[in-house]
Amino acid sequence: MAKLVSLISGGIDSPVAAYLMLRQGVDIVAVHMDNRPFTDEKNLTKAMSLVRHLQHLAGRPIKTCVVPHGPNHIAFARNCERHLHCLFCRRMMYRIAERIAEKEGAAGILTGESLGQVASQTLQNLMVENQVIRIPVIRPLIGMDKVEIINIARKIGTYEISTLPGLCCTIVPKKPATAARAGDILAEEEKIDPGALIEQSLEGMYVLDPETM
Amino acid sequence: MYSILKPCKTTAAFEAIPRERFSLDLDRCEEILKKTCTIVTNAGVILIINDMCEVSIHRDGRLILKTDSNELAAEQAVRISGWLEGTPAIRKPKKSTGPE
Repeated sequence: MAKLVSLISGGIDSPVAAYLMLRQGVDIVAVHMDNRPFTDEKNLTKAMSLVRHLQHLAGRPIKTCVVPHGPNHIAFARNCERHLHCLFCRRMMYRIAERIAEKEGAAGILTGESLGQVASQTLQNLMVENQVIRIPVIRPLIGMDKVEIINIARKIGTYEISTLPGLCCTIVPKKPATAARAGDILAEEEKIDPGALIEQSLEGMYVLDPETM
Repeated sequence: MYSILKPCKTTAAFEAIPRERFSLDLDRCEEILKKTCTIVTNAGVILIINDMCEVSIHRDGRLILKTDSNELAAEQAVRISGWLEGTPAIRKPKKSTGPE
């Protein structure tokens, strides 16, 4: 069975993306990037509830990993251009997901991105984000608008979980870059050590059973 | 110091907005607040402390108070105001003297 690493945030989109691929018979490994202390513990609880729900929909267990992402945010915020923060964040998530994919024998990364929905999800930004990995990023929602995504979320029963209280990321810049250039990002990333941050993140990663939360 | 306390759109926290415009020197805030609170992290652009609840302190003076209790959020904002008011951690914008 084909396998993908599915990034599950606790929001509306990512569980819908995961459901669409589960429905196609694809196996997933769920990965939650834990943004604390820039969010709260409610996001982790929501993500676990969503995976639990997806397990019931799929009728099979879903391996679930939690990766501490807060220290990465601190490194970006302390060292790099503020308006590029969301791009560093996503590039780091992809890099970590790729490493997990290698370990788990997954063929790609699955995300809930849809074009233009938030600042980081412009075509130019997505291109810059893709450049750090070699495996494909599968985005089943890319051409959908929010209403279409919400309609599916309601139909499959994830909407009610996704819209429970949970603090949005508080370290997002006021004016995030919408058309980042690869050269700018690479120059800024030289100020940090992405390789060391990836290793740290993977060392802090743990497997969680969504049924126990 | 803070006049508006409104729930965040996700209802998981409250946001305190400064009554007047000012900015905060977060390193100085950390120095002051570490005497009474736990410093969770100082990311340079945001300082996170733990006192009655966890609070994100932004450079523009905004506070995100991670609690679902309005009363607790208000009390926490007042405590932080009391600790910071009149200290060099607060930078008020220079008043314009008008056209020369």
